[in-house]
Amino acid sequence: MIGTVIEEPMAEAVSEEPPFRGPDISKLQDHTPAAVRAPRVLAGLVFAVGIIYLVFCMRPLWHTDVWGHLAYGRLICEGKSLPATEPVMPLATGIAFVDTAWLSQVIGYLTMQTIGIAGLQGLFALASATCVALLAARTYQRTRNGWFSLLAMVGFLAVAAESLSIIRPQVAGIACFVMLLFRLTSPRLHRSDWVLIPVLFGLWANLHGSFLTGLFLLGSVAAGRAIDVGLRTGSWQAIIRDHRLRRNFLLLELAAAAVLVNPYGIGAYGAALQIAANPNLSDLTEWHPQVLREVTGILFGAVIVALAVLYRWTPRRVRAWEVISLVVLGWSTFNSSRMIVWWAPVAALLLAVHGHASWRRWRRLPLIPEAPARAGKWTVVAVGLIWIFFAYSPLGIRVIHGKSPKLERSVSSDTPLAAAKYLREKPPVGQVFNTFEWGDYLQWAGPAGMKIFVNSHAHLVPREVWQAYMQISDLQSGWEEAIDRYGINTIVIDREHREPLIKKLKEIDKWKLDFEQDGQVVFIRKKPI
Amino acid sequence: MKSPRIAKEQFLLVQLIVVMAIVGSFAAGSIETRQVLLSEAGGPRFAPVVNVPRETPLVIEPLYDDPEVVSDAELAAVLAKIQPRFPLKKLKPNYVEHALRTWWLHAKFADPKVMSGEALKEFLTDHGRYLASWGDEFAPLLQDESGGVSIRWGKEEGASVHHDHWLACLTEAGVRLHEPVFTPNSRTHDINDVLQESLRDFKLDETEVEWSAMAFGLWIAPQKTWTTRQGRTLSFDQLADRLMRGHKRFGVCSGTHRLYSLIVLMRLDDDHDILSDETRERVMDHMRSVRDLIAVCQFEDGHWASNWSEGADSLAKPIEDELYKQVIATGHHLEWMAIAPQELHVSREQILKAADWVIKTTTEQTDSDIATRYTFFSHVGNALALWRKTHPADFWMKWQAEHPEEAKPVEAPKADAVKADVAPEAKDVAPESK
Repeated sequence: MIGTVIEEPMAEAVSEEPPFRGPDISKLQDHTPAAVRAPRVLAGLVFAVGIIYLVFCMRPLWHTDVWGHLAYGRLICEGKSLPATEPVMPLATGIAFVDTAWLSQVIGYLTMQTIGIAGLQGLFALASATCVALLAARTYQRTRNGWFSLLAMVGFLAVAAESLSIIRPQVAGIACFVMLLFRLTSPRLHRSDWVLIPVLFGLWANLHGSFLTGLFLLGSVAAGRAIDVGLRTGSWQAIIRDHRLRRNFLLLELAAAAVLVNPYGIGAYGAALQIAANPNLSDLTEWHPQVLREVTGILFGAVIVALAVLYRWTPRRVRAWEVISLVVLGWSTFNSSRMIVWWAPVAALLLAVHGHASWRRWRRLPLIPEAPARAGKWTVVAVGLIWIFFAYSPLGIRVIHGKSPKLERSVSSDTPLAAAKYLREKPPVGQVFNTFEWGDYLQWAGPAGMKIFVNSHAHLVPREVWQAYMQISDLQSGWEEAIDRYGINTIVIDREHREPLIKKLKEIDKWKLDFEQDGQVVFIRKKPI
Repeated sequence: MKSPRIAKEQFLLVQLIVVMAIVGSFAAGSIETRQVLLSEAGGPRFAPVVNVPRETPLVIEPLYDDPEVVSDAELAAVLAKIQPRFPLKKLKPNYVEHALRTWWLHAKFADPKVMSGEALKEFLTDHGRYLASWGDEFAPLLQDESGGVSIRWGKEEGASVHHDHWLACLTEAGVRLHEPVFTPNSRTHDINDVLQESLRDFKLDETEVEWSAMAFGLWIAPQKTWTTRQGRTLSFDQLADRLMRGHKRFGVCSGTHRLYSLIVLMRLDDDHDILSDETRERVMDHMRSVRDLIAVCQFEDGHWASNWSEGADSLAKPIEDELYKQVIATGHHLEWMAIAPQELHVSREQILKAADWVIKTTTEQTDSDIATRYTFFSHVGNALALWRKTHPADFWMKWQAEHPEEAKPVEAPKADAVKADVAPEAKDVAPESK
């Protein structure tokens, strides 16, 4: 009998190779040019900066300065010239007006016109993000440590938070200051500094009047170099011959000359020097001495203490410029809390750098760790993150999708939207008395030609007018007469801080409460003067 | 790291660039910019100088010669009452200023106890004369400043009561620009030094600007603007707006001096174009509203009350007004109307009633009453003279010559009577001067 033998298929031979788990990444070759490869930490820092950018983008426009600056920007663009005297406060007519922030105002106004509020928020966020990015970059370059780079960013933001929360031309000044700090703290000297630093100052002198702090920083670097060389060599000749000192000195001179490239020429110096001496500013809290009881003051004090400890421990050489700038800017902050925003980036950078060095010393590690591995993928991740953060920001949404955020959601809750709308519908006759903080917004959004009493440019308000403002606002003796003396027919004030004044006006027969909404109150005189 | 060498040529090139930039920018800057920078650097204080185009000040001539408002005899009777017959001990600058403003420099009187125009001027411009009257226990009236001369003013004894009243009165009296002013420390100053100091020291928002406005207009027109020490550019437009600002009750002498100053600016504008058309129209509107207010609040006897600015309410709810305040209001309203266009007058009947009242009230006063309230009655005399298109000195000297018996000397008031009026004058000043 012939049968078919069905042969069972032979079992497959058992493979000795491991199971397939996808392609072997280690065999991939990075073809990105070496120059654009980045370490992993870059992606982390970009993520952090991106978060900061988004947070700042979402910040509402404050109800003060920014609107006044936009109004000035509008005036400059419409008139195609810079006003020589104060143009919007009728009680300040004739006061010489050196507008060192004119370029910021024009940029802000044009941005508002073309892109809207999202554009302003985006500009502000970009400036702030640039500051933290530069601080992080410099710290990383010095330490090769992402965490301490993050410390520099966080330290700067925490200490300067209050000043950074308000969108105004000062942010442009801060960005210029941090850029300068970035260049001056580079371990290598760059030929491009001969061009970049003067150009920076040329722009700075037109963006904001804080260029003097930049000159101070340059000066302290030069003076610090002289001290360092002097201490090291004990020789005056060595100081004079030191080429780095000469370089710093020349950069200072060129920067000082570059400042003259502005519509006011040397007058910009006069204006910048005079402003701090204006007696009106003594009534503004941000010009008051820094109080250590407040949160900002506590952080300020904590950073000072930390720096003091770190300078004792750090194995890094302590340069004289560090001490000069920390002490002088710190002392200025004690005299005027506004200066904290200039002290903060210097302190944050040095805190991180010396903090890292002290930590490495404590861990008995070499001061500078080995350079981390770099890969093109991290560059791609970083670029991708940048795009994502931009795309999801109000600016990105506006640019890509054409959608603008609503005004009510984009401004601080203290912005007198309702009062401005009411006054546009029922324009006031004659002189208006307004809350100081609202003067800018009323100037921007109120009816054309409205005679505001004061705006945030307190240094431009005549002393007697400012005193009258304080007298009325604080219900000082003679306040009622002051209202009559200035011929005030309309009073626009906030209930939150002016409740006593509102109560008094209600008691006076010649005043009528004409409008109230969201804490915004308008009184009108029954028989106008 | 070794830094690259900087060549000597490069170093010098940078110095050249920087020096040229700074020098060029400084030279291209305005005078004010340069002076501000120099003063910031510890140099001399910023002291802008205003060009004064004349040696003697402008004069606002009266417009009307109306014997029905005041006859020759009535005018003479009033002027006789307000001859500057002052005790020389602790002679009040405010009195002298008012007298000089009324009588002018060339006034001469038959009575040797009456100070001539020249004597009045010398008291104000010569510290020695002031010292002889007040002694050295009081601060001087004339004060040396780094760039000029300032006048001590305020409520203290021996001071000029109102800001720039000294300057305005001498100006209205016709003083020369280079008339010497002898201060405690210098004999080289002149009226121009006082004027310049006033111009640069002036603050638009100070309490009293009435006299500054007049003095500046009468000296510097047709120049419309000037710069103060604070760097503020001021104009007559701003001055006019400042004079019109606020309730009409404000300002010295129940707000009536502001009106006179406004009319002076308007008259200056007629010849020298110191106001813009818009401001001119605002001034006219303001004065029309004043006319309308006083038209409805004149009392039956012809006077206006100190609260004339309330309009009809001042008549409906009269206040207890002291006589001198009624004289202030009535005399001042007559004074500004005498130099104002007819469109701004109240009715003729009201003018005649007002004039009758001030003439009667003034001539009824005793000499010691006049001495106590001299400054207010001096305005009455000036106002009435203006309504005869003349000036007190011109009229009186002619009257003296033609009526020697009627112009004969009378007994001077006692010193105590003059001393007693510090409180009322200060009270009148107080609400506006604080």
